Amino acid sequence: MRSFSEYNPVVITVYIFSVTGIAMFCNYPLLIGMTFLGGLLYYIVRNGRSHWRSHIFFFMLFIVLAAANPLVSHNGVTILFVMNDNPVTLEALLYGINSAAMIVGVLYWFRNFTQIMTSEKLLYVTGALSPKLSLVLSMSLRFVPMFHRQSENVSDAQKAMGLFKEDNVIDDVRGKMRIFSIIITWALENGIITADSMAARGFGTGKRSHFTNFRFRRGDIIFLLTDLALLGICVAAIAGHFLELDFYPKIKGSEIGAEAIAGAAAYGLLVLLPVIIETEASLRWRYLKSKI
Amino acid sequence: MEILKVENMRFTYPDCTAPALEDISFSVSRGEFTVLCGATGSGKSTLLRMLKRELTPLGERAGGVYFKGQPLNELSERISASAIGFVMQKPEQQIVTDKVWHELAFGLENLGVPKSDIARRVAEMASYFGIGPWYDRDVAELSGGQKQLLNLAAVLVMQPELLILDEPTAQLDPIAAADFIATLKRLNQDFGITIIIAEHRLEDVIPTGDRLMVMEKGHLIADGRPEQVIAGLRGRRDILCGMPSAARLFTELGAEGSCPLTVREGREFIESSYLNNIRSLPAKEKSAPSEPALEFKEIYFRYTRDSKDILKGLDLRINRGELFCILGGNGSGKTTSLKAAAGLIKPYSGIIKVFGKKLKEYKNRSLYRNCLAMLPQDVQTVFLKNSVREELEECGADPEKLPYDISGLLDMHPYDLSGGEQQLAALAKVLAADPELLLLDEPTKGLDAASKMKMISVLENLKQEGMTIVAVTHDVEFAAMCADRCAMFFDGQIVSAGTPDNFFSENSFYTTAASRMTRGYYDNAVTVEAIAELCRRNGGKDERNKE
Repeated sequence: MRSFSEYNPVVITVYIFSVTGIAMFCNYPLLIGMTFLGGLLYYIVRNGRSHWRSHIFFFMLFIVLAAANPLVSHNGVTILFVMNDNPVTLEALLYGINSAAMIVGVLYWFRNFTQIMTSEKLLYVTGALSPKLSLVLSMSLRFVPMFHRQSENVSDAQKAMGLFKEDNVIDDVRGKMRIFSIIITWALENGIITADSMAARGFGTGKRSHFTNFRFRRGDIIFLLTDLALLGICVAAIAGHFLELDFYPKIKGSEIGAEAIAGAAAYGLLVLLPVIIETEASLRWRYLKSKI
Repeated sequence: MEILKVENMRFTYPDCTAPALEDISFSVSRGEFTVLCGATGSGKSTLLRMLKRELTPLGERAGGVYFKGQPLNELSERISASAIGFVMQKPEQQIVTDKVWHELAFGLENLGVPKSDIARRVAEMASYFGIGPWYDRDVAELSGGQKQLLNLAAVLVMQPELLILDEPTAQLDPIAAADFIATLKRLNQDFGITIIIAEHRLEDVIPTGDRLMVMEKGHLIADGRPEQVIAGLRGRRDILCGMPSAARLFTELGAEGSCPLTVREGREFIESSYLNNIRSLPAKEKSAPSEPALEFKEIYFRYTRDSKDILKGLDLRINRGELFCILGGNGSGKTTSLKAAAGLIKPYSGIIKVFGKKLKEYKNRSLYRNCLAMLPQDVQTVFLKNSVREELEECGADPEKLPYDISGLLDMHPYDLSGGEQQLAALAKVLAADPELLLLDEPTKGLDAASKMKMISVLENLKQEGMTIVAVTHDVEFAAMCADRCAMFFDGQIVSAGTPDNFFSENSFYTTAASRMTRGYYDNAVTVEAIAELCRRNGGKDERNKE
């Protein structure tokens, strides 16, 4: 009874890349539509009605991307109207809408992904690849905000001592430059202490192991297998040219057979997995809570 | 059993003629708690670093260090890293990773310990130190005391047999520092870990230790049980000024017998040896309140719209020519009020006046010209150049005109100075703006006793010249010695204020060790000097018996 975000980060990463991978390498409008709706639905399930500003941003992006293609590309046989001696075609318009839906859909998925993947989870995933890389990331995650805080402190200190003597831009910029240069010195100075502290605790004495708070549970394995199975069916359908559509010069799709239906259904299920898990978890939790 | 032995150690840094350490020999038995003290630059840090192979500085060395009978540089890398733990002074800079749990696991990861073992040892350590509630937080969110505790836990998770600490509490407030020392004591008693600690703040740590070593100019000048060492140092005021109040009183009075170390022992010593017919010294003459230099009227402040108030209706008036100390716990809003006075943050309600003029009316940063200056807590933030001379030239300060002498420091890099020297150099820079109102945030943080005395005399000189000084501090001894008035900050406002004598003798917990020693026996005695004077005037009990 975990929500999707609490699954093992490796599983979540594999999942996100399967969904977005299909969307990016196949332009079949049905699959694109599923990507878009699935991403949007999960985003709404996670965030409720807040974040309407980001929806507006995505909507604007969608309009711009969809309109750009027919204005630039004049392929296609069905002419809708002529603008500045250039024909605007139906095919180009549909192609534009399809690509826009793909891009915005994938953006929604990545938005979900960044909300779920905290720094700690990212480190866990990179740590599985290389413990050293993960350590470097962890140190920089700490260092960047520290650098920022220190430069604010220095700036405050200088201000209260009257370093910025005049209230003008040039003096301000000059002050900022001096602060930047001393902050570099400060960072190097700090680096020596950190390096000492690392050496004192045996850094570099041998092969590092990698400690994490995450485990692979039964649910993770089931989810991973389901994900891979659905992905397999869908990839098979695409590779067998059962889910294909040409926009130019005239819209022409492959014939809809059992394989195409199976592929699309598999992808549909794949896209809905997080929402299903989320709903199941909240229903189960409501039931369990009623018994407390 | 002997765990560590140092034989005839001599060490010279490259490009130096005089050795940093010379002729040092001692041995430490298992389970001993050793305190190492000495003025800044006496070689404490160098000596401690010689005991941890990974941190040994480069230079010319002679003599040997043996860990459990084996020469230090013949230990295997893993044993050397894990069996000898080292905690340094700066809490923030020692931390390597971004999460508390990852920091705890860091050392074990380096040794390649399997994941399941790390999980157990980290869990054990987190429970022992009460780290549980902040186990999965970002290290940036922790307070200084928590950070230092984390550093200690991150070393202990490797199960060291010898723990070396180089001024671990210098950057902490007194309460966090006392907690830290108490934790060390517990580790020493519960697990028999051998501890060697160098410290400036000796009030708490000396009574905890079994042994006291004193260093001076690279030599070990005293070594033994604390009470014997202190008794033997009689007459060495420069070293004694950092010792516990009871011990200072004892040596000040030139008493005989066993030297008291704790407040309890000090109290017994006074009550058994001295009369209390004269209960207090004549009160100092109060100067009439002059015009105000800094006024807060109903100040409210919060950092963000939805956070809680940090300043809650602060009302405070500081008179011209006063040295005013603001005391109080962490997070009570002391530093925030200072920042508000310096115009670095804007209260959402209330009025702040500097020399009778509203802060808003100081247009075009005129506030910072010949009027007000602030020295921040982290003095490193004051420096921008590569040498002290350049720093002073930059802001137009003349080293000749300073009320103290820093000519010896002019060609050094500001970051290479000791804590006390950094404070003085930063103060020189701040004074260049020729302020009439000086705001100081923790001016005694990380200073050894001698530098602290120097700081006090510098501030008193400045006050003589008519400067108004407001200092935010945790250091009750400092406030008792130099303040004209003190105030206690709590929960965003001032709860009490008064002259140090009244203020500290009315407080029963937040007060000086001297005041705690004489509560109910003498009145209004809050410094060791005052008690010594009272004791002398009253005379000893023995003398009367003899008559």
